[in-house]
Amino acid sequence: MELQAVVMAAGGGSRMMDLTYSMPKPLLPVGNKPLIWYPLNLLERIGFEEVIVITTKEVQKQMHIDTKMKLEMVCIQEDADMGTADALRHIQQKIKTDILVVSCDLITDVALHEVVDLFRAHDATLSMLMSKTHEFTETVPGQKGKKKTGEQRDFVGVDSSGKRLLFMANEADLDEELVIKKSIMRKHPRMHIKTGLVDAHLYCLKKSVVDFLADNKSITSIRGELIPYLVRKQFSASTNSQKTKNDSEKNQKKMDLKTPDIHISSKDEDLLDLAREKSCWNDHRGDMSDAYHGGKLRCYVHIMEDGMCYRVNTLAAYIEANRLAPKVFSEELPVHPTAEISEQSMVGADSIIGAACHVSEKSSIKRSTIGASSCIKEKVKITNSIIMNGVTIEDGCSIQGSVICNQAVIGRGADIKYCLVGSGQCIEAEAERNNEVIVSTDQLMEI
Amino acid sequence: MAGRAAKQGRSNPNTGNPGKRGPVGQDEEEQPLQAVLIADSFNRRFFPISKDQPRALLPLANVAMIDYTLEFLTAAGVQETFVFLCWMSSKIKEHLQKSKWCQPTSSNTVHIITSELYRPWGCAADADAKTLVRSDFLLVCGDVVSNIDITPALQEHRNRRKREKNISVMTMIFKESSPGHRSRCQEDDIIVAVDSKTNRVLHYQKTLGLKKLQFPMNIFHNGSNEIEIRYDLLDCHISICSPQVAELFTDNFDYQTRNDFVRGLLVNEEILGNQIHFHVMGEQYGARVSNLLMYDAVSSDVVRRWVYPLTPEMNFTDEEGQACTHSRRNVYRGADVSLGHGSQMVENVLIGRGTIIGSNCQISNSVIGNNCTIGDNVILDRAYIWNNVSIANDSNITQCVLCDHVEVKQGVTLNQHCVLAFNVVVGPNLTLPEGTVVSMHHPDEEEEEDDEDEFLSDDAGVNNDPLKTKTKGYSSAEVGSEGKGYIWRTANLSEAEEDELSQGLWGLTVNPDPESESESEVSEDSQEQDSRAASPELDDVNVFQVEVMGTLQRGMEESIGCDNLVLEINSLKYAYNITLKEVMQILTKVVLEFPIQQQGQELKSSQYSPLLVPLLKRWTPVFKNYVKRAQDHMDCLAAIEEFFLERVALWAAMVKVLMAFYQQEILAEEAILRWFSQGVTSDKSKLLRKNQGVQKFIQWLEEAEDESSEEDGK
Repeated sequence: MELQAVVMAAGGGSRMMDLTYSMPKPLLPVGNKPLIWYPLNLLERIGFEEVIVITTKEVQKQMHIDTKMKLEMVCIQEDADMGTADALRHIQQKIKTDILVVSCDLITDVALHEVVDLFRAHDATLSMLMSKTHEFTETVPGQKGKKKTGEQRDFVGVDSSGKRLLFMANEADLDEELVIKKSIMRKHPRMHIKTGLVDAHLYCLKKSVVDFLADNKSITSIRGELIPYLVRKQFSASTNSQKTKNDSEKNQKKMDLKTPDIHISSKDEDLLDLAREKSCWNDHRGDMSDAYHGGKLRCYVHIMEDGMCYRVNTLAAYIEANRLAPKVFSEELPVHPTAEISEQSMVGADSIIGAACHVSEKSSIKRSTIGASSCIKEKVKITNSIIMNGVTIEDGCSIQGSVICNQAVIGRGADIKYCLVGSGQCIEAEAERNNEVIVSTDQLMEI
Repeated sequence: MAGRAAKQGRSNPNTGNPGKRGPVGQDEEEQPLQAVLIADSFNRRFFPISKDQPRALLPLANVAMIDYTLEFLTAAGVQETFVFLCWMSSKIKEHLQKSKWCQPTSSNTVHIITSELYRPWGCAADADAKTLVRSDFLLVCGDVVSNIDITPALQEHRNRRKREKNISVMTMIFKESSPGHRSRCQEDDIIVAVDSKTNRVLHYQKTLGLKKLQFPMNIFHNGSNEIEIRYDLLDCHISICSPQVAELFTDNFDYQTRNDFVRGLLVNEEILGNQIHFHVMGEQYGARVSNLLMYDAVSSDVVRRWVYPLTPEMNFTDEEGQACTHSRRNVYRGADVSLGHGSQMVENVLIGRGTIIGSNCQISNSVIGNNCTIGDNVILDRAYIWNNVSIANDSNITQCVLCDHVEVKQGVTLNQHCVLAFNVVVGPNLTLPEGTVVSMHHPDEEEEEDDEDEFLSDDAGVNNDPLKTKTKGYSSAEVGSEGKGYIWRTANLSEAEEDELSQGLWGLTVNPDPESESESEVSEDSQEQDSRAASPELDDVNVFQVEVMGTLQRGMEESIGCDNLVLEINSLKYAYNITLKEVMQILTKVVLEFPIQQQGQELKSSQYSPLLVPLLKRWTPVFKNYVKRAQDHMDCLAAIEEFFLERVALWAAMVKVLMAFYQQEILAEEAILRWFSQGVTSDKSKLLRKNQGVQKFIQWLEEAEDESSEEDGK
């Protein structure tokens, strides 16, 4: 076993509370599959047989995923406010090898070996996946006017090969200037600063990083703290100089160190060093120093040029993912065999109908997803919408570009455009709603 | 050479409207290519050598530097070159008039212009004023050695100008060369941020002395999300400029150098709308001889044929008698060279005409000029020996420059980076330490002459040392018993400065001490960790204090109004989550410490109060904003007390401080009295209250209060 896979599925989905209020993020249906199915499927496709899933009790109870892999569920307390790095620290005992950490909200068709190969080829401490930012084209319920520019941009510095990760900063942390150490530039004289990339939250990490986390309790988040720390650490002297020390010295050094430092070493290290020394290969050109400039800590990034890569962490991304994911990952029939569909209804080929659905006469469904056990009455028009499980839609409704959550009831003849209807909500008959978020009042209070 | 001729033939000589700036447009293509060559460095980097000979005429591989530049321009297809002269213009003029460039057969017409505007790059403005340039032109310095084929860059530049009219004003030519390459001297190290799609330069900065490179955020806001930061470029100091550049120089006379110009344009890009682009050369050669280190690097590159076709045996200046032969291991010999028995020319050696070398010499990586005499058993490595030099037996010279007519007597050892300027004599049996510069000019002469120019003195500010009384005799300890010459500016300077000076001439070493750098990195790193380890609460208060200090300092320097200071302090308060009480205590503390921060710890109490009182007056509104309730008064007094408890030496000043607080109506008298009677916390604070001044002040206050209460009573 080269890599252990860890799926992080304990996040609350704080950026799409309207959806996650009633249903935990990992279980949100995307193309009638829970969101967490996508990263699990990604791992399964590449040949993982075991996966550690870090999640909450609630998710564990409700999760029923059809997979051949052995899922080891690790629950953490929901109210413990644990970050992703805390979660890793929590499972440190289970980590025997290097790890592949995936977030549960990643939907991608990346050739995962690209990331892992970088990790292998450079004996890297970290390799990660990034992709170009997507423009979400669909109208998002409840968002009036132009879409906000959203989060602040990340500045990602890579070397001339576009693989080595040299620099990382978020716009929010920078004042007037972007500051780069000259010593980095001396080692990597050409640096591409890329903006417009999103982090897919998929990381290959050395086991020693997990051990380091165990020693260093102040780091709580992988993306927020650990990754920037590792990227910075690549060029600081203390890790680099360690290479020259003998083992005896090393032990002594460990005693001296007050603050826990990261020790990157692998068991074949001597052999690897020898190989590198004998080889004429070098990772850079220009100066005459050794490969990697003698640095032990190396971070790499694979940037997806094309293909699909979404992080379903906002409503906009959720809608977009629902639109696209089934096209890429459709192995099953779009209409579930147990669904009852009237002869006289129209169901577009681009729609998905879940199990035990009931679609009555003269209804038309286009570019939409209907969850399990939903009931669509007569003369209903549904376009570009996501209907979750157990939803009842009465006669003559028109639903467009909306998200209807579990157990909602839409009254007769209602006209709903670009709305989000929270779970269990009832929309009265003949109502006309446009671009609204309809949720229960206590939910509003909560937010 | 043949290729060059073909290139020249390419551009069509059409001098339609001389004297006027041609219409910008289609016939721009047909304009002959022009160049502006600035044959002056406008600095003293080559002093004392350039005291006698302008930099452009210094021989590099036995050919004057300006000839390389002119040859490059001619090869690039330039048909009209304006050579601007300032320093020692007559010498350069004479040289040029003798050269092939001024022959009627030259394809490159050279106009010599002596600039009246003695300021760097004033020439460009001059060129504008005289409306010499009519279209895109090449701008180079007189010390550029290059074999770059400019055509692709020129084509790019013209295409860009056609596409977007008059947006791009300049294309800078860079050569790819990784850090640590020997033709990169630290001094000219630059960092460039470019838009990799359009080749547009967004940021240009010299990195000398910087540890961290800073890029303004606005360069990331221009829409492109592919920005490349390049540290592997060497500025060839060759630029293709539009006629606007000359105008811009006229308009912005504060641009002293091209560096200023580039930075000015980039900063003002949004206003002026001018853009700068760049072109990178991979294979070709281009470098500017900006200091002796570069001189060394470029010379050896010429000898090693990197600048082909500008190699020594080509004799491209067509000067008679300069021809030499090229043999294995890059050994070049001029006419009538005689080499003694057992002498070896190891590799990369150029020997000029008429030079006589004795027996058993070992010469490597060196250039020897014409008519030199070298004795027996001489070892030369990386020596640059100009014309008519004589070196006696048993000398050992490593990486040095020996100018014309230098005489080295027997048994002299010159260590690295020595420079013997014109006509100097050293020896016999002398060892000159590393970095010695010997010149016939006494260092004091400096002040007597050429004070008329302010720009020259930029680099020469160091020589105001009190050496005037020194007799003008030659010191035999310095230059040997038969020596002639003075050590250039070393006598009374501290060691550190001496280093600086030798660097001045030689340029900084290519590789800075890597040890020191990594050390500092370690410390930086540990600091980082320390701050992480420290408890965040303590941190916030400390950081807040530092920030308040900074705010007030800035307030002083930029004379920011008190209202704004209060605003800033308030925002800091929220940022660091500081209570109002702490704000006031810290504010008091910072203000009280202000004079100490500015003047140093040894401030006496008598000096302290005159410094502090104006500050207090100035910032009274700030205090008033925070000191309102009775408790605030007490807190403020407690902070004052705390400050003075720590500094017993300043106790005498305390009364003045309290007085000032009272007079500015920051502190009420009741508060002060209450503090005096109640606030005793320790023995020391009791002692403080017994201080004579404080006692008197309190007494005075009490009396005043009595009076006022009496008045009230009436």
